[in-house]
Amino acid sequence: MSGTFVEVAAIPRATTVATARRPPFARRAARGVTPYLFLLPAVGCLAVWTYRPLAAALNLSFFSWNLLPTTPKEYVGLDNYHRLLDLPELRTALWITAMMTLALMLFTVVLPTIVALWTSAIGGRGRTVYSALIFAPVLVPPVAGAALWQWMLDPHSGAVDKVLGAEINWIHETRPAQIAIVVITGWHLLGFAVLVVSAGLAGIDEEYRNAAVLDRASRWQITRWITLPLLSPTLVFLALMTILMSGTLTFPLIDTLTQGGPDSQTTNVYYLLWEYGFQNFDTGFASAAGLLFFVAFGVIAVGLIRLSDRLTFHDS
Amino acid sequence: MGRIVLDGLTKQYGDVVAVDGIDLDIADGEFLVLLGPSGCGKSTLLRLIAGLIQPSGGRVLLDDEDITYAPPARRDLAMVFQSYALYPHLTVARNIGFPLRAARMPRARIRQRVEEVAALLELDGLLERRPRELSGGQRQRVAVGRAIIRDPRAFLMDEPLSNLDAKLRQATRAQFRTLHETLGATVVYVTHDQVEALSLATRIAMLDGGRLEQVGTPTEVFDEPASVFVAGFLGSPPMNLLPARVEGHDGRVRVVAQGVEVDLWPGEEVESRDVILGIRPEHLRQTDSAGPVGTPVLRGEVQAVENLGAEESAQCTVGGAVVQFRGARPLGLAAGQPVVLTTARDHIHLFDRSSGRRLAWQARQNQPTPVAPHR
Ligand SMILES: Nc1ncnc2c1ncn2[C@@H]1O[C@H](COP(=O)(O)OP(=O)(O)OP(=O)(O)O)[C@@H](O)[C@H]1O
Ligand SMILES: [Mg+2]
Repeated sequence: MSGTFVEVAAIPRATTVATARRPPFARRAARGVTPYLFLLPAVGCLAVWTYRPLAAALNLSFFSWNLLPTTPKEYVGLDNYHRLLDLPELRTALWITAMMTLALMLFTVVLPTIVALWTSAIGGRGRTVYSALIFAPVLVPPVAGAALWQWMLDPHSGAVDKVLGAEINWIHETRPAQIAIVVITGWHLLGFAVLVVSAGLAGIDEEYRNAAVLDRASRWQITRWITLPLLSPTLVFLALMTILMSGTLTFPLIDTLTQGGPDSQTTNVYYLLWEYGFQNFDTGFASAAGLLFFVAFGVIAVGLIRLSDRLTFHDS
Repeated sequence: MGRIVLDGLTKQYGDVVAVDGIDLDIADGEFLVLLGPSGCGKSTLLRLIAGLIQPSGGRVLLDDEDITYAPPARRDLAMVFQSYALYPHLTVARNIGFPLRAARMPRARIRQRVEEVAALLELDGLLERRPRELSGGQRQRVAVGRAIIRDPRAFLMDEPLSNLDAKLRQATRAQFRTLHETLGATVVYVTHDQVEALSLATRIAMLDGGRLEQVGTPTEVFDEPASVFVAGFLGSPPMNLLPARVEGHDGRVRVVAQGVEVDLWPGEEVESRDVILGIRPEHLRQTDSAGPVGTPVLRGEVQAVENLGAEESAQCTVGGAVVQFRGARPLGLAAGQPVVLTTARDHIHLFDRSSGRRLAWQARQNQPTPVAPHR
């Protein structure tokens, strides 16, 4: 038989390209705008209550002014900033702030982690009761708490010295005063931090622990190799909150208990700022300080958020 | 050593009985496959053996030791989780090496073992990746690697191949078989894939609604299904099941239904009963109506013909029932055409209509033994 092989035809590639009609511009625009409309109230509030004062502070930081409406503002350029950076008190206050923040981590990161790990096995009603107990101090207003502690820290009749069997003048000795500020703030925050860590623990899939248990890892190995690494974003979050807020959270205690003393040894940066702004009425100077702190804490926050993102392991 | 005995094992979740009174003796070195539809309690049974959950009743014995309430770590079992449970913050190498690291093996030894296992599972290039950077099938192989790197008393595997493509699945199946043969380890293997079950198992345990339906070798389970459930689960398409009636008629035992006439063997005094008649699609043949007298006959009409690649499957109606019939392509059938099907008497299965259990023929004494339809 005579013949020839013919190739089976391939499917030809389409040459004309039909374009689907896009929805009309008005509809697309409306769709794009809607989410921003929902954001508007929040952004509005932020603008009025946060960004506008911030801008005002920026403006004020270039002037010398004593807060009296009758006195004119005097433009001084970067003078306030120069004075601020040369101020020895600022360095002391920064050092005290850093130390107190670090010490506070014990109450906002270390202890909560230990407590949450130990109590993670408690379930049902027991859990509710214990959560309520440990959370209670969070609900005590800081100033009320400070008054209460002032009474308990009294060197002659206070409960604390009686229990310790010592005669420490908590408010007028440097080290004890610093410890008192940190411990009382920590007592306020501990419950909240424990709840945050417990929530973080609950968010870790139990299957990882099951797998590790079957792989014959010890309890300590599982905590160190599985639980803590998976919990690290939560812990970084707590550390971030502590760094950003320790200054403001200790403020009411400093103000009620020690007024920054003894010898300015409990004066943190915010208390210093407040003293300059509202006791010495050096408004421009205080504004410069406020802006400087704002920028510095902003940089720290960005760094820590980056770290937290790096530590977050999404599965699946 | 790794003999696992389950003794009346039960697990209840509120009103749901996930595992219902299971007795099972898994010998050392056995490859037991737990097979059943979704939600039948396979994973629950595996977790009971692993000790991750505690039973509501019954016991688990490992090498004759009661381990029902022993913590998982003391059981020395390795498990592949249905969800893989890979540690998301660790690299593939660290995931696979985790059990050795927990056992404080020197780092160099771990590295070496990890590389061996990775080579076996074709994970070589992926050792420094993290689980989220892997495909589903790759993750599954890492989970398998983490289990086989150890030398446990038994392996528990919860659908370890479900996410692999056909080629890789077949290759990994072969590896499992070699692994099982070389290690001689006990394996309890969960799947709902019957091909996997039939090809890997030394024994299959069929589960339905938390209960054991049948336990036997792949051949036993496939050739002599103990119940309508097992018959309807295995095979693709599964066994045809038609309601029918057994009767004695003209000195013969017969199975009849509308469009069905199956002549079994001589015998008069057989009590009539309602049965389910089972015939596998691949055991049906086309015939012309004038076949030899006494051969089983199913008369019906073709509804649709389906192309299965090498074969074709025809869907026919016989009486009120649907019968699948499978054979080499082309079958030469078209929809609407009448068809007459037949089969060998050996390939006929009978089940009780109400209980669904298999019926076996028991000859009365002083009577010529009829040829049993199944050995
Ligand atoms: N923790 C639980 N609480 C309540 N019911 C559960 C729980 N775990 C499993 N069940 C129920 O027990 C039954 C068996 O579940 P199991 O996970 O063992 O099924 P399975 O055979 O593994 O299914 P699949 O093949 O889909 O994985 C199901 O009906 C399920 O809903
Ligand atoms: Mg399952």
